[in-house]
Amino acid sequence: MSAAPFLTAVARVITRHKLYTIRLHTSSYTAVKAMALTLVSSNKCFDGFQKVFEHDSTELKCKMRFGIYLPPKAEGGKCPVLYWLSGLTCTEQNFITKAGSQQEAAEHGIIIVSPDTSPRGCNIEGEDESWDFGTGAGFYVNATEDQWKVNYRMYSYITEELPHLINSNFPADSERMSISGHSMGGHGALICALKNPGKYKSVSAFAPICNPMQCPWGQKAFSGYLGSDKSKWESYDATVLVSAYSGPQLDILIDQGRDDQFLAAGQLLPDNFIAACTEKKIPVVFRLQQGYDHSYYFVCSFISNHIKHHAKYLNA
Amino acid sequence: ACFSLLPSPPVIKKKVCRSCPNAALIRWESGNTNPVDSYTVELGEISRERSETAVTESIVGIPTYESIIQLLSGRSYLIYVRAVNIGGPSERSDPVIIYTTGGTLFHLNEETAHPSLAISEDGFTMFYGDEYTELNDITLSDNAFSRCVAIMGELIPIRGKHYWEVEVEEHTEYRIGVAYEDTQRNGYLGANNTSWCMRHVMTPSRHKYEFLHNGSTPDIRITMHPKRIGVSLDYETGKLAFFNTDLSQHIYTYKCHFLHYVHPCFALEKPGALTVHNGIEAPEYITFS
Repeated sequence: MSAAPFLTAVARVITRHKLYTIRLHTSSYTAVKAMALTLVSSNKCFDGFQKVFEHDSTELKCKMRFGIYLPPKAEGGKCPVLYWLSGLTCTEQNFITKAGSQQEAAEHGIIIVSPDTSPRGCNIEGEDESWDFGTGAGFYVNATEDQWKVNYRMYSYITEELPHLINSNFPADSERMSISGHSMGGHGALICALKNPGKYKSVSAFAPICNPMQCPWGQKAFSGYLGSDKSKWESYDATVLVSAYSGPQLDILIDQGRDDQFLAAGQLLPDNFIAACTEKKIPVVFRLQQGYDHSYYFVCSFISNHIKHHAKYLNA
Repeated sequence: ACFSLLPSPPVIKKKVCRSCPNAALIRWESGNTNPVDSYTVELGEISRERSETAVTESIVGIPTYESIIQLLSGRSYLIYVRAVNIGGPSERSDPVIIYTTGGTLFHLNEETAHPSLAISEDGFTMFYGDEYTELNDITLSDNAFSRCVAIMGELIPIRGKHYWEVEVEEHTEYRIGVAYEDTQRNGYLGANNTSWCMRHVMTPSRHKYEFLHNGSTPDIRITMHPKRIGVSLDYETGKLAFFNTDLSQHIYTYKCHFLHYVHPCFALEKPGALTVHNGIEAPEYITFS
């Protein structure tokens, strides 16, 4: 749709509905297009709405989808936001259909935003070759290697573009956000919080990849996205970032299934993270949950605890 | 004609009265050598506007030397007791002042203390000296812990929420939690199904934290070692929760439906000291657990 009919339509809306004040962006049409959200789906859930939107991402240079749960309280005013980062192979769908987060979010009046895990359809050679690298495996970094550096900028997408988009289009309180995630998303949540002191009021994780530099998943992803110079990997490794952290006090909650096959396979390495936090006096409560694995059955069993943990800081 | 003497006023045992935001437990001595038919409790709210507190409520026909009284939170009350016999009621006893502002108040029951425990004069600090007292020469009361160097508090037996704090040092090895009144005195806190406790011990390499009930514990690791532990008990939701109060950090919550009333309990695993703080209003963050 070109600019003129769009602006005329808006003007017609203004005259017809004088009750509404619509602030028109006077910036260029391209900027308006980039901010434009397309509603993909909407389902009423616990008196709020679970929606999915699509937009053109300026960081990732492709169309991106994200889930957003708007609690009933959002109708009456601004709500704090919890950003949920999903793990390897996930899309924006897994969390919203499997985690059972909406009830607790509704109760505490928290908006939950769940983005996708990588750019999609960028036609990069090799992007679909493995399930643990490329599509569905963005690792929440800004890639520097030639093939990936144009599109694979998930770190900036999550910490800059997405919050800006959410704050501009939804009743979100820009001063109150928290972050959480599962597996690769747990790694994402931890590094976003550690690299941005004070930006997130609280952080938590499920079975996070705590020390990617030391595990096969992390080594594959980092060498692919960041190249072979390991000093460049450090700024995306939670265990390393902890030793350099200085900022407001954190209160980190981590749940880990004891029967998690990836824990046994040495992909997660929570002991390293706990040791670093103990050394640096960063408050962590780490719970090894008997009988639980790596799946969303595990996530949904403890998601209420995590949302309560965040609510304590978001609703303070 | 028969002339019945009025009874003497009872004597309220102020040291063993307990309270919580919604109630108080008042105990007294008869004050009479002759039998008394019943007791009457009278109370009035202390208000800043009036210098004299008027009695606004009476509870009559109390057959024993104690009574639990429902009160409103955030107030101060003057409570009196009268003895009643066939001739009529006695004069009012000396009053006890009860505050429902500051959270739950309880005392440590020294009768339950293991012989190796010494209690401070104010009654809220316990010390485990350098030597484990040999029990052979001591006649232990049935009520005292004989193995676990422990003591129980006397919590007001009323449903609702209770909160208290325990102060320790970084290397103190302790067990703190709750137990049923009749928990095995020759057992260890947390080792049976009548007690629940947070346990801290030092291993050669690290601090170890356990949450014991019936001998088993979940696997929890924490990075900051609490020096002041908040304990929150909620009968309605069946939760017993522990917090690092210096960090406002939630550590662990038991979900248990208590079959009977429980009492706070405290134990030291090796020589050291521990101080109980109560009469504290529960902080807001405990609701998020």
